[in-house]
Amino acid sequence: MTVIETQGLTKRYGSVQAPALADLTIEVGDGVTGLVGANGAGKSTLIKLLLGLLAPTSGSATVLGHDIGRAGEQIRRAVGYMPEHDCLPPDMRCIDFVVHMGRMSGLPPAPARERAADVLRHVGLAEERYRLMGGYSTGMKQRAKLAQALVHDPELVMLDEPTNGLDPAARDDMLALVQRIGHDFGIPVLVTSHLLGELERISDHVVVLDGGQLLRSEATRTFLADTGTVLVEVTGEGDAQRRMGEALAARGLTCRPQGSLIEIDPLTVDGPSSGDDPVAAADGQDAAAAAHDRLRDLVRDTAADLDLGLVRIQARTGRLEDVFRDEVPA
Amino acid sequence: MSAQDSTGVIHDIGYRRYAGARTTRAGIIRALLLSGVLAVFGFGRSGKAKVLPFALLGMTLVPAVIQVGIMSLIGLSADLLNYSAYNAGSSFLVVLFVAAQAPVLFSRDLRSGVISLYLARPLGATAFALTRWASLVLAILAFVLTPLLVLFIGGLAAGASLREELPRVAVALAGAVLLAMLVATVSSLVASWTLRRGLAIAGSIMVLLVGLGVTAGLQEVADTEGATTLAHWAALLSPFVLVDSVQVALGDASTQFPAPADTVATGLLLLGAALVLMFLGMALLVRRYRSKGA
Ligand SMILES: Nc1ncnc2c1ncn2[C@@H]1O[C@H](COP(=O)(O)OP(=O)(O)OP(=O)(O)O)[C@@H](O)[C@H]1O
Ligand SMILES: [Mg+2]
Repeated sequence: MTVIETQGLTKRYGSVQAPALADLTIEVGDGVTGLVGANGAGKSTLIKLLLGLLAPTSGSATVLGHDIGRAGEQIRRAVGYMPEHDCLPPDMRCIDFVVHMGRMSGLPPAPARERAADVLRHVGLAEERYRLMGGYSTGMKQRAKLAQALVHDPELVMLDEPTNGLDPAARDDMLALVQRIGHDFGIPVLVTSHLLGELERISDHVVVLDGGQLLRSEATRTFLADTGTVLVEVTGEGDAQRRMGEALAARGLTCRPQGSLIEIDPLTVDGPSSGDDPVAAADGQDAAAAAHDRLRDLVRDTAADLDLGLVRIQARTGRLEDVFRDEVPA
Repeated sequence: MSAQDSTGVIHDIGYRRYAGARTTRAGIIRALLLSGVLAVFGFGRSGKAKVLPFALLGMTLVPAVIQVGIMSLIGLSADLLNYSAYNAGSSFLVVLFVAAQAPVLFSRDLRSGVISLYLARPLGATAFALTRWASLVLAILAFVLTPLLVLFIGGLAAGASLREELPRVAVALAGAVLLAMLVATVSSLVASWTLRRGLAIAGSIMVLLVGLGVTAGLQEVADTEGATTLAHWAALLSPFVLVDSVQVALGDASTQFPAPADTVATGLLLLGAALVLMFLGMALLVRRYRSKGA
């Protein structure tokens, strides 16, 4: 199900030259969607636009089927929002605060109390819920912020940098929690971070922004998918690795040593490889699969010709970091 | 509590959805209004947050209790019960209360960042700002009406006649409402702009208390110089003087200041001008919160 849809969404602050968000067209569905980008990429701007808190300079968007320009109130009733900055009154007990925020989202008194206790248990603040939040650690504050975003049982949550300021252990806990919200609780999540690595683990889909521009919007498995590159290890007399490499090169393959392995680039695929047209994309995938098989056959034949033992042929999977390495000139 | 209690039954029920009723916009506003009034008196906040508002409330009750006591002990006449002058008389305490407690509603949200959570919820900036304002008005009313109530009920118990007292107390009541609205507007503007509690308190005291002194002085001078119109309109500089003046002109109350409006027409004009200023102030307040959306 599509929960967020944007069409050429653009936001320019005042008369600043470069827009904070430029002509963004994306779709966000169920599960966890990671919104990745460096500082100033436009992540928070996008969330504020989607909540109807900022008016777009141009373009349009719908959240849960509501237009951001006309139905801000309905959107804010149905969405839970966790801002990136501090937003907790220090002189309130966490439980009172979460109950109050539930009421502000339209829960009657009794359900607000019940659900506040529930969500505080889910975020792991059951023990500390009667303490004033002024004395909370950063980790506890982030949990309290998350609890207030969940208390009214939203149909979608937008979490702006929930791992901000957390140590590695607390970061892992928070990410696991975000993943549970998206998968076990069944609430679609839009979560931002400037760290690619942490979102690739928990997201089903990743949107990458750079300087307000859309870099990529893809299912995470595409990122982690077989890149077509193959790693090969051989054994044999003499300098097996070098002999194998030369033979592969002689057969027209591009390869290079990678430690004790040889990394071989995929065979070039003829035909369309554009992702826009589904038919062409499917054709492209078939062609890629065929090229893949051909490459493995070639490796096997080469090793057999040289009388070398083939220890392994393994696909090299891409990582999210490659997105930036490939597309952002550093 | 852990997932497993002493009986060994696993209680870690998974996430539960909520399919029950949700309140309307009006319900949310009511909840915000009430929590705001309570927050001014320290409820729903830390324990020590209750000390100051209740200490001030206790102090403002002292004269009322003494008056009622004297009345019933010595049997003085009910003329002693001057409701409409009470708040001008204890204006120092009213100003302290408002100056100290307006930041609870108007600095705290902006400073701690909770405002971004409120604005990401259904109400929106305009309704939020106006509801906060209304909370402060109600809290001030509670503060200024409690001593009046003590006077009224105590006076009746000491033998004052209900028929004589009722109209006089009604004028004072109307005056208290006007005072609460005007003072709330001034202090909410100060608190939402200064953000720092100390600054907000100093600012409110400055504007309200010094304004009161300056206005009284200005009236005195203008009146003795024969500039009566100027003396009348100077009341717009201070909510306390203004309420006194309107009470005198429209409610036949006795004055505490040099130059109250002397005709009903002047009283009405003053009242109208004060309300216009108040609405302008509220519009400014709303603008302040709307700019916080981003
Ligand atoms: N209120 C504002 N007025 C003017 N410019 C703004 C405003 N808010 C954001 N910007 C600018 O818009 C751009 C995008 O900001 P945004 O906060 O959306 O980025 P972000 O991806 O959330 O960054 P971060 O990781 O630092 O939170 C930045 O260049 C920022 O300076
Ligand atoms: Mg941000």
